[in-house]
Amino acid sequence: MSKEATPGDAEPIDVMDPKTTQYELVKEALRRDGIEILHYEPRYEPGSKEEKRVERTIAFFFALTGLGALGFIVTYIWWPYEYEFGGADVMSKWYTPMLGLCLGVALAGLGLGVLTWAKKLLPKEEMIQERHDGASEPEDRKLAGAVLAGVGGDIGIHRRPLLKRALLFGAAPLGLAALMPIGGLIKDPKNDLFETGFNKKFNNGKPVRLMREDGTLVRPEDVSVGGQITVFPAIPGGASLKHADSPTLLIHLREADAEEARKNAYVMNQGSQWQNFIAYSKICTHVGCPASLYEQQTNRLLCPCHQSQFHITDNAKPIFGPATRSLPQLPLDVDEEGYLYATEDYKVAIGPAFWEREKK
Amino acid sequence: MTVAATSRPPRRRFRRLGKVLRFIAALSLVGAIYTAFAPGIYADEPKGFTAEDIAKGKAIFDQSCITCHGNNAQGVDDRGPSLIGVGPAAVEFQVNTGRMPMARQEAQAERKTPMFTPEEAYFLAAYIDSLGGGPAVPKGVDLNDLSNADVATGGTLFRVNCSSCHAFSTGGGALSSGKYAPSLFPATPTEIYQAMLTGPQNMPVFADNQLTPEQKRDLIAYIKYIQNDQAQGGWDLGAFGPSTEGLAIFLVGIVALAVATLWIAGKS
Amino acid sequence: MKRRKLDVKQLPAKAAGELDDRFQLASPVRKLLTKVFPDHWSFLLGEIALFSFIVLLLTGTFLALFFDPSMTEVHYDGSYAPLKGIEMSKAYESSLSLSFDVRGGLILRQMHHWAALLFMAAIVVHMGRTFFTGAFRKPRETNWIIGVLLFWLGFGEGFIGYSLPDDALSGTGLRIASGITESVPLIGSWASFALFGGEFPGDSVIPMFYILHVFLLPGILLSLIGVHVGLVFMQKHTQWPGPHRTEHNVVGFRMFPNYVSKQGGFFMLVFAVIALMGGLFQINPVWMFGPYKAEVVSAGSQPDWYVMFLDGLVRLFPAWEIREFGFTIPAVFWPGVVGMGIFTMLPLLYPFIERRLTKDKGHHNLLQRPRDMPARTGVGVMSLAFFVICTLSGANDIIADKFSISLNAMTWAGRIGLLVIPPLAYLATYRICLGLQQHDREVLAHGVETGIIKRDAEGRFYEVHQPLAEPDEHGHTHLEYNGWTVPKKMNRLGALAPTLKGFFKPIEKPAEKPAVEPGEDREEITAGKN
Repeated sequence: MSKEATPGDAEPIDVMDPKTTQYELVKEALRRDGIEILHYEPRYEPGSKEEKRVERTIAFFFALTGLGALGFIVTYIWWPYEYEFGGADVMSKWYTPMLGLCLGVALAGLGLGVLTWAKKLLPKEEMIQERHDGASEPEDRKLAGAVLAGVGGDIGIHRRPLLKRALLFGAAPLGLAALMPIGGLIKDPKNDLFETGFNKKFNNGKPVRLMREDGTLVRPEDVSVGGQITVFPAIPGGASLKHADSPTLLIHLREADAEEARKNAYVMNQGSQWQNFIAYSKICTHVGCPASLYEQQTNRLLCPCHQSQFHITDNAKPIFGPATRSLPQLPLDVDEEGYLYATEDYKVAIGPAFWEREKK
Repeated sequence: MTVAATSRPPRRRFRRLGKVLRFIAALSLVGAIYTAFAPGIYADEPKGFTAEDIAKGKAIFDQSCITCHGNNAQGVDDRGPSLIGVGPAAVEFQVNTGRMPMARQEAQAERKTPMFTPEEAYFLAAYIDSLGGGPAVPKGVDLNDLSNADVATGGTLFRVNCSSCHAFSTGGGALSSGKYAPSLFPATPTEIYQAMLTGPQNMPVFADNQLTPEQKRDLIAYIKYIQNDQAQGGWDLGAFGPSTEGLAIFLVGIVALAVATLWIAGKS
Repeated sequence: MKRRKLDVKQLPAKAAGELDDRFQLASPVRKLLTKVFPDHWSFLLGEIALFSFIVLLLTGTFLALFFDPSMTEVHYDGSYAPLKGIEMSKAYESSLSLSFDVRGGLILRQMHHWAALLFMAAIVVHMGRTFFTGAFRKPRETNWIIGVLLFWLGFGEGFIGYSLPDDALSGTGLRIASGITESVPLIGSWASFALFGGEFPGDSVIPMFYILHVFLLPGILLSLIGVHVGLVFMQKHTQWPGPHRTEHNVVGFRMFPNYVSKQGGFFMLVFAVIALMGGLFQINPVWMFGPYKAEVVSAGSQPDWYVMFLDGLVRLFPAWEIREFGFTIPAVFWPGVVGMGIFTMLPLLYPFIERRLTKDKGHHNLLQRPRDMPARTGVGVMSLAFFVICTLSGANDIIADKFSISLNAMTWAGRIGLLVIPPLAYLATYRICLGLQQHDREVLAHGVETGIIKRDAEGRFYEVHQPLAEPDEHGHTHLEYNGWTVPKKMNRLGALAPTLKGFFKPIEKPAEKPAVEPGEDREEITAGKN
């Protein structure tokens, strides 16, 4: 049943004989390429009704393409495209959908037309071709091996240990030298991961006040009980990406919660609260998203990226999810002008952990 | 790139510094004007409830709320909190959004068809206010016409304060252990204002000293702007972000093309 | 007049002759034209990826004309009111202007993004086909390896492209990437500083990503895709077992005209689907997210779908941090770095692992039905289950919110599901495969179930079976199972019969002399050459 294609069966024909038909020539070409024709049959009688119907279908698809493409061009040029506010009755909202629809119809028409042509008008054909894969002939392998061995012999590296070592000595540094330009990217992290914008060095050695994203300084009365705001170091560019490690969540706890937080405070965090105000780094200790979904009744803080949950009244220690470390707490106080400030920088590195994190 | 980077920071720092100074000056000025002309916003301004309103409110309260919130709204353990001092805004928000009365005790009260008319809610608010004051939407804030509000400022405030829970699309999101931040689509401007003012359930409070009434209007204007702005570039797939986009590429893209492959390679 | 007309008609033949005079093309061109390809719908899945890649190159070139990969801060002054006057990077500003102020910019941006999602989806589906049918076996291990590399390159290219607009959502993704980079022992902080040109976010990452995104990675992708397709061409495509089909032949149709017209038509369909999705479905509305700020985040922040499994795994991984000798290995290192390493190496090595376990060192051109290799199919379904649970967990907050499930419960369901479901999926798949095998043998022995119930003289009911061959005296047919599809329904009976052999009707009447007609220049070349 699974008889292999045997192109050798067919009689070779005289290709150059002017009497040979095109059909015989095609067959001969296929035979030479190791192809046996299993089945080859036109689908329709040429000129038949069925064939005409298929042709009309294909023509319809190509016409769709033309119409779609024209629609695309017309839409592209004349449809209003500039953004306007508004609902579905604003014409420009339909600019992109119209373009997509026209282009889609044009391309789909072309695709369907060509595919229908291939499926319905091309003759049914099934052919068998020999594969000729697998390894080369043993003879070829042997010859190639010999040539390769000859090349090796000519170069003779195995006979010349000095050259071998010299080449290695020369090539290895060259390879390393090629890597050097990438070294331009290397930067010493120094202390950057341990410092935020609340470090006094950014404020001429003075403690840094808190400010909001628009630059206003923060007073205790600006945050209501059960409220929270995002604060930044009040230094030039404090709210910009230059100090992307500095966003801090300032929370005004209820009396009882503040008392609990004070009671629970780690040694490191003792005295960091100012009255009922508590401030934690907004940068999640897991991988650094802003952990800022503050639930004021349950006093939980949720990070929306990986669902780590922190307990605000217990040093913001992680109680659920993949985070392992508490959010660092910013030590707060209020100055004589009534503004909140950080008495010093965070005591541990904020944000995601890294190898040398405990160095500080 | 590096050249630009090294030459930029000083300029930017000066610009920023100048901006900060200007801002501080402008804000002190604004603050001074505010204190001079509109002290009422921060103080407990008269809310205009009449004794009749309060009496009607008490009647409704004693009929529908007393089971959970107790006599004189002092609260009942494990059922409902004390309402003394929560203020009229909280009452109107909870009642007008249908959250109160609660259908059953669960992680979070959800929005449903309100049980009371806005007028009845007003009476209830009057009654609760009479028990101990509390925040209310200031009289002078116009939430009907937001056309003169600054949506760009509102957008910035939204992204800093709101999007973390309610999502960029204002469609809401999950909180811990079954709680959630609701979608802001059904909320009216007044309800959003009241919610910020009172911090219902687990929402933090954004009182008028924290976000000024003006900022709140900007914020609400932004929320309503993006909600009323038909999606650009076709259907937004519910605006859930990449998760629905990923679903769409399989359910629409891959399915359509797999059907196409079946047709192309099928016997005809 | 007549002379001119003749010239036009003979022009192709003449041009072909001129070309052959110079390049000796007749024989190679003929071989190319007649190359036989097998036909099956599942062989077209890889093409979806190939064609989406072409669309990516086309749309990407357009986007590059308008996108400015700079992190310089500017104030927005475009037509989108909610961002007027806001400070943002030039990269974000130009993404906004592409979306709102460049004519047709939004649809090309959206097509580019949808094409990227489709590219990755098609790679995964195509990989599944290759895996479950054993198409990766000798001699095609190299192409399997290239395919796995293409997935990871696409993963990187996609993530980088998603980061380029510098919006708040992609910035969150970058922040996570920096956190994962920092988690690598010993060199983490140095690697992160090298990537971002300093402490995150620095001001060089977007320009660096841009050159990777438009030059380096597409270059590598393009050349690997070239090798991938070239190897398929050179080694010839695998085929399903069936009538006439052996390990040593290919049964199908010729490259020209059938294969090429089907490919061309399919390309247009893929392009059409991308255009329709790009126009009708919004994707990545960057204007809603605002510029990246370190303090801004949204509920429901997710990466694109093909990164979601990594994000999901990071969400599910327990809080296990190692702190010894004053050094820290953060929890995210395990799923984020080690996990990804395992997910790269295991598929890369799979062909060799299987070869070792099955001791099958043979040369294979015939595909296997998934049911005939229950262990492999089980491993595949197991991996798929793992991947799907991770991916769903990457969207667990959206699922929790929209289906009112507790977020914490979703996390725990993911953690337990990740350990329990894949082994169960393996066992179930294994059993189903064996069941299907058994049913195949049964049909071969007893015939197709016809659904006709009869009652014999003694009152017994029995179902009439249609035997597939002449049965012996016990009513059994003795047919060997040989990897072919076994017909299970009466109207599928023809599937076993071989194609009738024969050259039924030539498409045209035999010509009287060697044809010299347009479109037949290939014979002409051959003739001219000899």
